[in-house]
Amino acid sequence: MIKTSKITKKVTTNEGQLEILKPISFEVKSGESVAIVGASGSGKSTLLGLLAGLDEVSEGEIFLDNEPLHTMNEEQRAQLRGAKVGFIFQSFMLVQSLTALENVMLPAQIAGAKNARSQAKEILEQVGLGHRGSHYPNQLSGGEQQRVAIARAFIGQPKILFADEPTGNLDAANSEKIEKLLFALNHDSGTTLVLVTHDEELARHCDRQLVMQAGQLTEAAAQTAERKDVSHG
Amino acid sequence: MGNASKLAWRLFKHEARRGELTIILAAIILSVAAVLSLSLFSERLQGALTERSATFLAADRQLRARAPLDESWVSEARSQDIATASQVQLRSMVFGDENMSLADLRAVDDNYPLKGAITVANEPFGEQQKIQQVPEPGTAWIDSRLFQLLGIEPGGNIEIGDASFTVSRVLAEVPDAGFSLFSTDPLVLIHQQDLAAANITGPGSRVTYKAYFAGDNGQLDDYYDWLQPQLNDELHRWQSVEDDESPIGRSVARAGQYFLLASLLAIVLAAVSIAVAAQRYSQRHFDPVAIMKTLGATRSMIRKVYTLQICFIATLGIVIGIVAGVAIQQVVVSALAGTVEVSLAVWHWRPVIIAVFTGVVCAVLFSMYPLLRLFSIPPLRVLRRDLDSNLSSRTLQFAVSGLAVFLLMWAYSQNLEISAILFVSGVVLVAALILVTVGLIFVGRKFATNQMGPWQLAWARISRRAMDNSVQLISFSITIMLLLVVLVMRNDMIAQWQAQLPQGTPNYFLINITQQQKPELDTHFEQNDVEIGHFYPVVRGRFVSVNDEKVNTEVTKEEESEDDNGRDGLGREANLTWSNTLQNENRIVEGNWHGDVQAENNEFAVSVEHEVAGRLNISIGDTLTFNIGSEVVKASVTSFREVNWQSMQPNFFFILSPAAMQNFTPTYITSFYLPTEKKAGLTELLKPFPSVTLFDVDARINQLRGIVEQVSLAVEFILILVLVAGSLVLIAQVQASMDERQQELAILRTLGAKGSLIRASVVYEFVIIGIVAGFMAALANELSLYLLQTQLFNMPASFHFWYWLIAPVVGAAVVGLLGAIGCWRLLTLNTSQLLRKIM
Repeated sequence: MIKTSKITKKVTTNEGQLEILKPISFEVKSGESVAIVGASGSGKSTLLGLLAGLDEVSEGEIFLDNEPLHTMNEEQRAQLRGAKVGFIFQSFMLVQSLTALENVMLPAQIAGAKNARSQAKEILEQVGLGHRGSHYPNQLSGGEQQRVAIARAFIGQPKILFADEPTGNLDAANSEKIEKLLFALNHDSGTTLVLVTHDEELARHCDRQLVMQAGQLTEAAAQTAERKDVSHG
Repeated sequence: MGNASKLAWRLFKHEARRGELTIILAAIILSVAAVLSLSLFSERLQGALTERSATFLAADRQLRARAPLDESWVSEARSQDIATASQVQLRSMVFGDENMSLADLRAVDDNYPLKGAITVANEPFGEQQKIQQVPEPGTAWIDSRLFQLLGIEPGGNIEIGDASFTVSRVLAEVPDAGFSLFSTDPLVLIHQQDLAAANITGPGSRVTYKAYFAGDNGQLDDYYDWLQPQLNDELHRWQSVEDDESPIGRSVARAGQYFLLASLLAIVLAAVSIAVAAQRYSQRHFDPVAIMKTLGATRSMIRKVYTLQICFIATLGIVIGIVAGVAIQQVVVSALAGTVEVSLAVWHWRPVIIAVFTGVVCAVLFSMYPLLRLFSIPPLRVLRRDLDSNLSSRTLQFAVSGLAVFLLMWAYSQNLEISAILFVSGVVLVAALILVTVGLIFVGRKFATNQMGPWQLAWARISRRAMDNSVQLISFSITIMLLLVVLVMRNDMIAQWQAQLPQGTPNYFLINITQQQKPELDTHFEQNDVEIGHFYPVVRGRFVSVNDEKVNTEVTKEEESEDDNGRDGLGREANLTWSNTLQNENRIVEGNWHGDVQAENNEFAVSVEHEVAGRLNISIGDTLTFNIGSEVVKASVTSFREVNWQSMQPNFFFILSPAAMQNFTPTYITSFYLPTEKKAGLTELLKPFPSVTLFDVDARINQLRGIVEQVSLAVEFILILVLVAGSLVLIAQVQASMDERQQELAILRTLGAKGSLIRASVVYEFVIIGIVAGFMAALANELSLYLLQTQLFNMPASFHFWYWLIAPVVGAAVVGLLGAIGCWRLLTLNTSQLLRKIM
């Protein structure tokens, strides 16, 4: 579903060129869930931005569902995102001037779907917020806002879901709820999930973990196994 | 409806309901309402004033000719539904029982006057009343002075040429008598039918034929387009109300300029508020745009959504603005009804079109740059919140906004000069402010390193957000400057009008006072408790040559004053006076006032009024020759004077050094003020001096004063309107900047800063901005006023020391207060509400 080949990201600063991401190559299979973990500033979010087509690679190739993201312009990438990608963010990123229901409808409406409202109602019910559709984001708690964001992410039945610290702004109880919801929906819809997180608990629920360290990504299957061992031991 | 339209509509609906659009909507409403009510009101007021000025022309247009007018011209006008009237005017001898006198004879038809009314009285200098009729054939209405001069009583007979007339009324005033105090002979009004019998318009007589026209401006303009090719510049002169050079005409013209200025400033204020609001609007939508782009919205979709939104906002704003503008104007008109005369014509389309145009241009041009920034927000902002638009060119923004303002001003005023003056001072202000901001950053850095008191916090914020603050500073300064300009112009203009006609302005003039009568008159008036003015000596003399080159002496004074082509010479006898001291309201514009000094070559010195000097092509150093009786007096021109003809005092073209005139016996001119209650005793007062001629200018002065008061009131109203508009702009600005402060306040609050510290620091910040803005506004105000007064209003430039103090103090107080109110609202929220507001 995702295939990268020697992608790098460089930025120009006052002190010259800085390589944020060293050449990275990996693959994520369809339906797989992958967690990218690592310290703050290690480059996790940068990688997520590149994979989701929000930003452009400096070098290398990215294929998303066999489509060459690295050759596309911003407009084409937007269309690809609209058709195949869903997002969940740490700060929820709901449009404050739209109601919960309208926020959920937004991707469907952008894609030109005819039955956006009924789809949105249905999925809002699924996340347990059917009764709060007419509320504005600032009338909802943090956990509720993230559930709206999850509903919004799944409405277009995306092939790939990117989540950036989805529980980062939530307390333990809410984190757990969100985690369960996320994986349940992911499982039901067979979506490929790539999430960036600090939360080890959340990372452990994923099929694979990739570790980001100073711009380098390590395929951490062994680590994961070891951790799994530790946790099982 | 497409998806983009649906989304745009939905966003618009929700945001409007949640009050998110309040500021930008208010800015558009404000601009449309202010421009509409101002221009609607000024249009109506102008209409009324023009109507009033028309009464001084006795028509909307007047055609004067030295030869009889072609009948077909008048019938063409009538066929175009234009009302017409005619008059034949000439100087003629009038004979009474014992005496005779030269008179200004006017023979009119039944339609005269088309505008205004004839004022008559039942006895000389008696109570006056306006009537809408003209003398019956065979009768004459004559000036009060003529009763004195001819020694007749009302009901008596006079002879003019071959005809005899019964004097049926005392003529006090005709609408188009003119304003010149000392050139007019007493008026006689007869019916045009009698002119043939009088047989006085034969060859050699100097007759002015006048045709009067009244109707719609459009009709009249069309008619003039038809007529113009047939006119001969030598013979004909077309005059409209706008050409009115009388004091009233000038006051009206100046008031018109002021209204125009005020409306322009309202447009600029509106533009500033929309620019501020549009920027805020754009910033608030950075996140939604990034989200939509992330969710797959293409750039063109975003463009559609937000362009449509602006269209919705602009349409709503314009509609509400028009309703509000009409309502405000209506309220003001009814409030002023009775005090200020406003045109009864109910509706004018021009102001509505201007207002809509302003609303559209402001909404489109001022939101263009913020929108472009909005469109270019990268989707990556959803992950990196600090990412801003990659389009960031303040220069472009300033250039586009500046150009828009200039074009609006120009389009609206169709006056490049006034637009350029305001614009240039605006640009200077902006440049100066940028320098000040750089200075503030420097000072602020030094200041902010000390411990964190409210002043330090305020300075730190100002210097850190230097660019944002400079935009804010600029808009505050421009607002304050515009308010100052409108305020100072109003004060200066009204002060000048009032100075022209202070209480106690002489309302009667006496001429032909002999040397012998002078002390007697002085004592007599003192005994009767009437204060009498300065006695000006006058000798009638004929101006005959410049540097021994003869000038044409054939032209009479009346024609000279009506004729632009007066180059030939003054010809007629002029009133010559002499003095060592320069009169009030006279100013030397070239050369030196002669004072006690004689000119070179032992010639006598003469000071010449500068416009006459220009017309007669006289230069400093030229020798002028006057024939006084049988004597010849030569004098060398030592200075040119500018004379305020609008002042109610005797003014002279030529003032000689006293030495030149010592051999002549003068008569004197003087003036006095007689309050209304003493008027009845006027005839008694003058009885001992039958040979002295009296001029009654009381009616004129009252008329002039009435108009000045009316115009002043209207100007005051406009000032209030602009002040309200300006205050609203200031509120919008503070409101907008409060948004940006929310986050910081929330953090400070969270960190446990006391409410009083935060409040004080915000208030101080606004106070500092207010002081600087006020100071800069005073500077720009001075510059633009200098240009406006000297270039446009033809007023002497004035320096406004007090405003350098008042502007910063008021700036600090108002901006500080608004800041305090703004942050009070924020501080009433508890910390968690505050945090949620900024999430």
